Amino acid sequence: MKKIISFILASIVALSFSISVANSAAKEVRVAFFLEWATPNQEDKVKKAFDKALGVPVKWTNFATGGEMTEAMLSGDIDISFSQGLTPFVNAVNAKAPIKLVDIAVIYGMGGTTCVAAKGINKGNASSKLDGQKVAVPLGTMADYVFKETMRVVGADISKMKVVDMNPEDGSAAFVNGDVAMACLFGGKSIKAAKEKGASLLTVKEAQDAGIAGIDITSVTNKFLKENPGMVKTFVEVTHDANARYNAGKSDMNIIAKDAAMDLAGTKKQMGGFEFINAATMKSKYMNKGGILMTYLEVMGNMFATSENPALSDYSKVVDTSYLP
Amino acid sequence: MITGIITFLTIFAVIGSILYGQRLIKTEKSDAVFGNPERAKGGIHWVIVGSSFLLFTWLYYSWDIAKAFYPKSANELCQVAKVNESLLSLKYLFPIEERSHKSTALIKRENINISEKINIIQNLSGLSNEDKAKFVNLLNKTRQTIPLLTNEKYIEYETKNTITNLTNRINKLTEEFPKESYPPALSEAEENKRIEALNNQLGWGATGMEVPPLPESKVGMKFNAAAKELNLISDEFFSMRNHNPQYLRLLKEIRDEIKEYKDALNEDQTLEMTYIKEIRKLGQRIEYESVFPPNALDGMELAIRNFDKVQKDQQGSIRIKDMLLFPGGTIVASGPTCAEDGPGRWLPKPSDTFRIFGDLLKPSVGFKMIPMIWYEMMGVNRIVGFFLPDWIADVMPGKYPVHTSDGTVEPNFKSKVLDVVTGEFEAFKIPVPTGHIWDSFLRVFLGLTLGIIFGVPLGIFMGLNRFAKGFFDPLVELYRPVPPLAWAPLVITVFGIDNVGKVFLLFMVSFSIMIISARAGASGTQLSKIHAAHSLGASRWQILKEVIFPNSLPEILTGVRVAVGMCWGTLVAAEFLAGTSGIGFVENVARKYMQYEVIWITIFVMGMLGLIFDVTIRKIIDKTIPWRGKG
Repeated sequence: MKKIISFILASIVALSFSISVANSAAKEVRVAFFLEWATPNQEDKVKKAFDKALGVPVKWTNFATGGEMTEAMLSGDIDISFSQGLTPFVNAVNAKAPIKLVDIAVIYGMGGTTCVAAKGINKGNASSKLDGQKVAVPLGTMADYVFKETMRVVGADISKMKVVDMNPEDGSAAFVNGDVAMACLFGGKSIKAAKEKGASLLTVKEAQDAGIAGIDITSVTNKFLKENPGMVKTFVEVTHDANARYNAGKSDMNIIAKDAAMDLAGTKKQMGGFEFINAATMKSKYMNKGGILMTYLEVMGNMFATSENPALSDYSKVVDTSYLP
Repeated sequence: MITGIITFLTIFAVIGSILYGQRLIKTEKSDAVFGNPERAKGGIHWVIVGSSFLLFTWLYYSWDIAKAFYPKSANELCQVAKVNESLLSLKYLFPIEERSHKSTALIKRENINISEKINIIQNLSGLSNEDKAKFVNLLNKTRQTIPLLTNEKYIEYETKNTITNLTNRINKLTEEFPKESYPPALSEAEENKRIEALNNQLGWGATGMEVPPLPESKVGMKFNAAAKELNLISDEFFSMRNHNPQYLRLLKEIRDEIKEYKDALNEDQTLEMTYIKEIRKLGQRIEYESVFPPNALDGMELAIRNFDKVQKDQQGSIRIKDMLLFPGGTIVASGPTCAEDGPGRWLPKPSDTFRIFGDLLKPSVGFKMIPMIWYEMMGVNRIVGFFLPDWIADVMPGKYPVHTSDGTVEPNFKSKVLDVVTGEFEAFKIPVPTGHIWDSFLRVFLGLTLGIIFGVPLGIFMGLNRFAKGFFDPLVELYRPVPPLAWAPLVITVFGIDNVGKVFLLFMVSFSIMIISARAGASGTQLSKIHAAHSLGASRWQILKEVIFPNSLPEILTGVRVAVGMCWGTLVAAEFLAGTSGIGFVENVARKYMQYEVIWITIFVMGMLGLIFDVTIRKIIDKTIPWRGKG
């Protein structure tokens, strides 16, 4: 009996210790990224320019969704999430996760994230044709945001549809099979596959006019930010250099395509829909008070708020522009 | 309040039951030898210990006990966390929680990086000797910038002054901090504002408020004020660099040289461009960091250590609460907000969990507009339409009606039958269950039932017949070892994302298990019993019905129990893949919105449903095969 009690007590003590193992100093930087999401800094990633600039090895891990990036950041396995969608970031900060937004990675129109509807459904008749239909949406991602905004634009009622939660790959397969009337997707291959059986509900231009745009950001854990501000600064700077190189047309697209696990034409097409803005524009138009990003944060924060995780009163607390070059 | 009572109850239950168990051992005289199952009979008190212990562990690790007994502790710890956060950057500079100074680590690393780069450049084939010499020279110059930063004699008076100034501020804070008068009283207007903000602040764990950030107690205000001051000091320190004129001169020289070199490069000299950029980055990295002479910050280090000690002393009871009642983690601050970190984050408090579960159970709330479990009124016609196959109408004599020339359609007998079999008629309504829990339950139930209906006869057949064994064996044995989830993507593509695909997946799981168990049961029948029945004149059918089937029932029912477990496991994963409703869908969506309470609720519900299934089957086993283990 005594043995059992002491064993139980010892287990409790052991559990308490094992959970609170501290992280040691930054001997490497662990970065999360997406496949099928081509960005100019992937050239630097392949050429180890990040490792050289930071002076320590950089470990890149690919994730399927931004929400998984947050989970990895909270468990202490990832320091920097590159190109996390704004939606998962908002969900994370609504849940009081200690992460901060330091940079805008990609701004993209509906080319990168879009809702593809079956043949016969278009902008004009979507509100009636989608009633009672099934739609595949990866909930809690940028595609979820695009879905909600698109439905607002075409005047369709979401509560009358049957929303099926599917990752883009599965959603695109289900759409091609005819299981769902519409699929909201991100990622080059998934959209390409889906478009063989349907068309985007809104064109890039229409979405742009309606004010729907995707923003992917760079988020950093609070701890890493406090301990290694120099590294974060360098990371952002290398990324901005790569963006400048791409904007000047000097990027090596073959390397980027290979690293993004896409073909060259697909990569060029995808990146054609991306916009990589410079630090000055970010500071003056996006991350300033009342700027585009700030408005997005607030709109999305309220859109995805739940009773347990309500929207923050002020999203500027989670944005830090001091790391921009 | 309730949590507090429950905590005491669990403790009493554990102690009481253990004492009772001990007395029972002493007083009870049992002649059952070791190995006799009689010895494992009874023992409700151990069930009480087990469940109370589980509940207590949950209460303790989710910090619900802390919340019940010290509702203000999170707020106080939040203020302490603010101080810790403000110290984080400064502390990281010194070997307080690390092994070496941050500057030391950086210099060590960069010296290695520079040497490596020189090595690489000298062995590089694509560069001209002239360029190589240039690069090595630049790198050596970059290396020379380090001593300019670390040498005591170059450090500027102004920088020194700022360091002393900041050190004094920390020392002053250390001195003031324990005093009763710290923080200084606020003006009346500010005080009123503070009180008003406090009144609007929700408590710990209230809906949407994880940890209240504004200080509520006197000690809390102390820490809050200190954190503010330390943040200012920290910011000022990190905006300062030890960039003395000598360093800046050399840096400018290097920069100019690099710029000159870069300007002279033409478009296709990419290799040279890459290297010159890397060299520039190396210098820049040193420039960004706070590198100071080895002893220049000694005073500051000491001041921080002293302050750290004082603030730890001042924490007093907060520290003990943190250690005892916040196992595995603590409250962390991120700027002005605080959050739970550790089990408090991912293990929701029982009180919150049951509150949210109660909310979810309300049919009007539910999850994603679908209730957890509720009923809806469904016409009997739909049920009739579902069960009766449509071809009944097709085989009826006659033809379907054709519209008449005056534009009306006259229904005839055939079309009326069609209306009945497709459920197109008016009928009274009956309540049927609906909701996430019901959907999951129904899927498992259907998959299991279909598996039993098809699997058991086939299994018995395979156990008795050579042809069946040989014919079906390769098929079954080939697909059985494949993990059910491996089929999932395929099944979803073929059968769609609706219930059909999920039920089919579960059918595949239970089918193979039922075949194996029925087959084992059938072939395991004692030959003597079959012979006995045969010599008493039993027919084939009678042998099957009265001897073989009852003999294989224990195996079959054990198979059902195994299949139930497997079906639940597969169901959740299938609902992850294409979610429309169901417990797995709820869990997957909750994960995306970081609703940990909901995640635990789904886990709890699944455990309970699995338990109900299992208990039901155990009861059935006890009822139907009382001869089990006694044959």
